[in-house]
Amino acid sequence: MTKLDTPIAAVSQARPRRPRATGRLLLNAALAVLFLGAALTVEVDLTRLLEAPAAIWRILVLMFSAPDWSELERASGLMLESIHIAWIGTIMGAILSLPLAFLAAKNVTSRTGSTVVRQVLNAIRAVPELILAIAFIPIVGLGAFAGTMAIGLHSIGTLGKLASEAIEGIDPGPVEAATSVGAPRMAVMRWGVLPQVLPEIVAFWLYRFEINIRAAAILGIVGAGGIGEGLSQTIIYRRWDRAGVYVIVIVLATVAIDAVSSRIRRRIIGGGDRAIKTEADMVTDGHGQSGPDPAKGPNPRDFG
Amino acid sequence: MSAAGVESAPSRQRRPARPRRSPWAYVSVIAFLALTWWAGSDRFGIGFSVPELIENATRAGGIVSDFLDPQWIYWTALIGPFIETFQMAVIGGVIGCSIALVVAFLASKVTTPNTAAYLADKALLNILRALPDILYALVFVAAVGIGPLAGIIALILFNIGVVAKLLSETVDGVDLGPSEAAQAAGGNRFQQIRAAVFPQVLPNYLAFSLYTFELNLRASTVLGIVGAGGIGTLINVERAAFRYDRIAVIIVAIFVIVFVVESISIALRRRLV
Amino acid sequence: MISFKNASVTYPGGVHALRDVTLDIPPGQMIVIVGLSGAGKSTLIRAINGLVPLTGGDVRVDGRSVTQASGRQLRELRAEVGMIFQTFNLVKRTTVLNNVLMGRMHGTAWWRTLLGRYPADDLEYAMRALERVEIVEKAYVRASNLSGGQQQRVGIARALAQEPKVLLADEPVASLDPPTSHVVMRDLQRINRELGITTIVNLHFLDLARQYGERIIGLREGDIVFDGRGEDADEQVFRDIYGRSLTADDVLEAKAEL
Ligand SMILES: Nc1ncnc2c1ncn2[C@@H]1O[C@H](COP(=O)(O)OP(=O)(O)O)[C@@H](O)[C@H]1O
Ligand SMILES: [Mg+2]
Repeated sequence: MTKLDTPIAAVSQARPRRPRATGRLLLNAALAVLFLGAALTVEVDLTRLLEAPAAIWRILVLMFSAPDWSELERASGLMLESIHIAWIGTIMGAILSLPLAFLAAKNVTSRTGSTVVRQVLNAIRAVPELILAIAFIPIVGLGAFAGTMAIGLHSIGTLGKLASEAIEGIDPGPVEAATSVGAPRMAVMRWGVLPQVLPEIVAFWLYRFEINIRAAAILGIVGAGGIGEGLSQTIIYRRWDRAGVYVIVIVLATVAIDAVSSRIRRRIIGGGDRAIKTEADMVTDGHGQSGPDPAKGPNPRDFG
Repeated sequence: MSAAGVESAPSRQRRPARPRRSPWAYVSVIAFLALTWWAGSDRFGIGFSVPELIENATRAGGIVSDFLDPQWIYWTALIGPFIETFQMAVIGGVIGCSIALVVAFLASKVTTPNTAAYLADKALLNILRALPDILYALVFVAAVGIGPLAGIIALILFNIGVVAKLLSETVDGVDLGPSEAAQAAGGNRFQQIRAAVFPQVLPNYLAFSLYTFELNLRASTVLGIVGAGGIGTLINVERAAFRYDRIAVIIVAIFVIVFVVESISIALRRRLV
Repeated sequence: MISFKNASVTYPGGVHALRDVTLDIPPGQMIVIVGLSGAGKSTLIRAINGLVPLTGGDVRVDGRSVTQASGRQLRELRAEVGMIFQTFNLVKRTTVLNNVLMGRMHGTAWWRTLLGRYPADDLEYAMRALERVEIVEKAYVRASNLSGGQQQRVGIARALAQEPKVLLADEPVASLDPPTSHVVMRDLQRINRELGITTIVNLHFLDLARQYGERIIGLREGDIVFDGRGEDADEQVFRDIYGRSLTADDVLEAKAEL
């Protein structure tokens, strides 16, 4: 401590008191109580979680050490069906969500109107695809069509929400210009608003398609078509060697489609001047609900 | 008024020819239509057929009317399974997000300079994320038996995938200056990460964790369909019994849960970052 | 205290940032290194604490070779060499005190680092370091809430908390306005005089270099082209170091007038 003991220039400085971190303490305590509460009351012996790594490893070995490739043809066929479901479902969602997105945008529709439509979109989004499929099966019958309807409906919710946020983020200039030449409202939307947001919205469609592939891969579990059906059967009958083939097919197909789709997305958005909204952005600005994208600069949103 | 109302001064400006569309535009439109026809057709794709649709819909009249007339009193049966859903989401979330914190630092080249190591980790995360959560549940139900344990394991894996991926991308983008300062002060790699990198990504980490908790609740409502515990378990029971008036109540309950939790989570997340 | 012997650095791109530099720095000196951007100033300074490895020759601090040090030895050596950065390099999302405590990180048990709980002794060091740069009242403020000059003083406090034998400062005032630059340079000068810490500062303003440099070393394209007392470094010397005539950008005060 020799050096620091050398006298400090005679400025009287009071050391601040350490502020109390009550808020953080409470938060930590609440989390601990929540976790312990859940862990102690759940009807599971949680020490069995320690067996999980071994169990996972055992299954991995069973699945991938000697896959039964004779199942490949069936798996590929079913995967193709899943892709079809995702494709048609996404198109359905895209077409139907577009008008709803305009109705849900605060800068296009009146405040009450947009709030109502927005809540409807939120409501649609809140029901998982699998549940929607269960609801559709008795109406349209078992099979891929029920799955397509489920995915289409869910996509209306998610796409409508994202697109309406994109519309709210537009530059009001072109809209003013179109309005000032006396264009009717439809024309203002078509020529003042749509060109600004279309690339972004199409990128959302593609992004949704990527997500829908994953959703369509599991719909078969409830009988709504696609590869999920084959997979769940092999697992129920413990044909792990066949299940492995299904898993491989799903992983390869999703990874490949992601790669192609994200490349197209990037081309559409045109590297640089528009930011591609990542999942992380959506999380940190609350599913994009806080609106303006910093990369797009100032965002005067209330006009018209 | 003459045409266009303007008598332009004779000038030497040439009007350009209308530019031709790139052939790629036509190719992509045709490809799009072909794909859609293929995917929608009866023989190859999802088998979209209007007559069949009408037939089914008319036959399903009874079910639909059941759907539209929910047996509301059934909600009391949902309380227990709902609590289980909540427990699964909390346990899976806390454990999964804790593991994800470590995995994320191993999956960024900022904190793991060994190229082979972080590329391997990133690849693993991509595979982990390529598979839907319910598929994990399906596998673990077969492995450890029916019940919430399988669901919890599935959620843990699912959360590692989501949080570690998002967080490792955040770590990729941190300011490297503080880390260099920690290194210059004689800190080892662990100390650099803890003191210089971790505080930079903490708010994002909390936001991602909240987000996955929300995803967990959403997911754990359906995990029961494959037998992995929670409110979804009831769906299977009632489906087998054709009690669509009860399924309607379950769907409404799931909807309310997801809706409420999402609203809370969004509000909290916005305050964090 | 510090000695370079035929030290060279060639970067992977093939740039020769240091060419065969031989240099001796006795304890307690305040040295200013000047040179154009790209002359190799940062490389020279980072070679001292091993942040940039030499590709030839040797550099010793207090008799210990930096080039031959093992990982652990290198960290030990770094703990005795404080460093101050142009862009401050603070963790902006945490408190000033946590930033300064980074200076006490070396030798702290891993679990203490993990929990962020430092021993009382270390806290005392950090507080005194903050007192020395007269910013202790901000100890519990988030670093992002400070002005540039205040942030750099926190950077200095972080280095001081290490109880260093040597202080390295890489263009510590390049991001600051002229009055603040002087405050920070005076802090460094005071620390050098009061505590006797060998201090090496990179600068590119010749007036600051002349005012604060006990000894000035001129670098040009990796070669030492001047080594002498501050008062001997007249404008001709700087023209030689820069290899061109002087402009308003080379002095701090002229900038202030613009
Ligand atoms: N990490 C690096 N990789 C390749 N070249 C570098 C690197 N860092 C610096 N250089 C080059 O080395 C030379 C000296 O750089 P530097 O020491 O930063 O100079 P100064 O600090 O005087 O501006 C410059 O030509 C620079 O471009
Ligand atoms: Mg430099």
